[in-house]
Amino acid sequence: MTATQIDSNKMPTKGAIIPAEEEINKTIVDIFKKSLEKKCFDAILIPVRVPETEAYAWVLLKDQSLLDEANPLPPIISVQGAKALRSLTKRGKMTQNIAAILRPCEIRAAVELSKLKQIHLDNISLISIDCPGAMPLSDYLADPEKSKKIYKNVLEKWGEDDSVRPVCHICNRFSLPSLLHRKSVKISPVEQDEAKMPSIDLHIGLLGGNQEKIFLIPVNPKGREILEKLELKSDDSLDLWQTKVSEVQEKKEKIRKEFNLELKEKIEGQKKLTAVFDECINCHNCMRVCPICYCQQCFFDSDSLTLSPETYISRAEKKGALRFPLDTMLFHLGRMSHMVLSCVSCGVCEDACPMSIPVAQIFSLVADQTQKSFDYTPGINKEEPLPLQDFLEDEFHEVETPSEAMTPEEVN
Amino acid sequence: MNDEYTPKIIGFLCNWCAYTGADLAGVSRIQITPSLRIIRVMCSGRIDPLFVLKGLLKGADGVMMMGCHPGDCHYQKGNYSARRRYVLLQKLFEDLGFESERIGLWWVSASEGPRYAQVSSEFSEEIKKLGPNPVREEIFI
Repeated sequence: MTATQIDSNKMPTKGAIIPAEEEINKTIVDIFKKSLEKKCFDAILIPVRVPETEAYAWVLLKDQSLLDEANPLPPIISVQGAKALRSLTKRGKMTQNIAAILRPCEIRAAVELSKLKQIHLDNISLISIDCPGAMPLSDYLADPEKSKKIYKNVLEKWGEDDSVRPVCHICNRFSLPSLLHRKSVKISPVEQDEAKMPSIDLHIGLLGGNQEKIFLIPVNPKGREILEKLELKSDDSLDLWQTKVSEVQEKKEKIRKEFNLELKEKIEGQKKLTAVFDECINCHNCMRVCPICYCQQCFFDSDSLTLSPETYISRAEKKGALRFPLDTMLFHLGRMSHMVLSCVSCGVCEDACPMSIPVAQIFSLVADQTQKSFDYTPGINKEEPLPLQDFLEDEFHEVETPSEAMTPEEVN
Repeated sequence: MNDEYTPKIIGFLCNWCAYTGADLAGVSRIQITPSLRIIRVMCSGRIDPLFVLKGLLKGADGVMMMGCHPGDCHYQKGNYSARRRYVLLQKLFEDLGFESERIGLWWVSASEGPRYAQVSSEFSEEIKKLGPNPVREEIFI
């Protein structure tokens, strides 16, 4: 414990301000080039534009020259970063130091997956970045050049341009450090020391920089060490960044509230919700791209729900008719019941839906409320247990029916 | 036979307490509501929220979850997990505007046969007031 240690329960106040010479993107990439040179990391996991296409892919880089095509904030989320990280550490933990530059929702999904024992975060430095959102895949593919221009505008306007995906437009968790000091992050006394290490080491602040500078914000001692290795002084004031973050935060909270009220109006009740999911073509893309849906075999892909033809005939007779394939609604609600407490509202499910069903919006709405009832924010603290893996003996008594011992005479 | 509507209720009962309690109610010749279809589980902690959702979406009028009283779980802590899952289900129902009255959680010990009979008939009465589950009519679900 050194005197320079930052209290993770408060928003960091000191960091390094780096002037952006040309493009923000290049400035960030240059920092990572230098970090490879100075041996801060052995390799970097970052989105890279696939040459001669408009696609972005996750690439593990050891070579500085390849970083030229890297883009830490591409206009789209092609593969959820947590999924990329998961495939990297599926067979065990990294033996070398890796830096992974991910959007806030991707980092949070990665932390949730580490709680589910699907990712080893050892030796991985998670580096987050202020994220203005991502464009819908379909919009981007329709006209990549135009979309890139729009995305530039999105980056400049922060929260005002609604050409990003709806879940991004209403996202109030666009800057991770602002979440770390929230009260809901529980730290048990035993794990306190380790838990003081937040899930991220370093944060790249773009807000408040006016495209002219970026903020490199160490969130824990490891982050500070990285800055030292980069020969950067980390005692610049972060006031500009902080002010802008709170300002956008406030704006976003308001947009989110209004948006969710409107959405609730549209989907509330079994009739309305059935109408929303009626368009589902049962492709299960939403489940396949979801970073939290990690099961090797999904219950809904198994034969557990299939019955004999005779049963279907008799059910159809009773009901008058039966829709096939069955259980569309059960799939969505069942998936929801399994993963909603860890849902980070990254929106890849909606991007992957060929029928443009607002899955991510619905899940995000339910996630807000359900997570709140467990006082849980997914992906913030590695040591905070998942709500369903944890319990207190003395809680939620309001859901139990009071018990009174009775004699048989009283009942009859 | 009368034409009075008898709801169909699925009950997930813990093997060690509620199920034995239901058995005791029967042995004690206490009248039990005919609306309950019992599915025995080894612990209330085994009840995946999915079971409850499936029951309701397939047309059951109500779903009961019953487990051991807090502190009495045969496996130490299964019922605490069940309680959390039930909270999740309740919230989910509230947020989506489903009838959360159609599900319930009770603690019933092996010696509480009368209590078993009472809570199941009370719940059955409540469901009767709510009427049949609307998904029974819904083809495109």
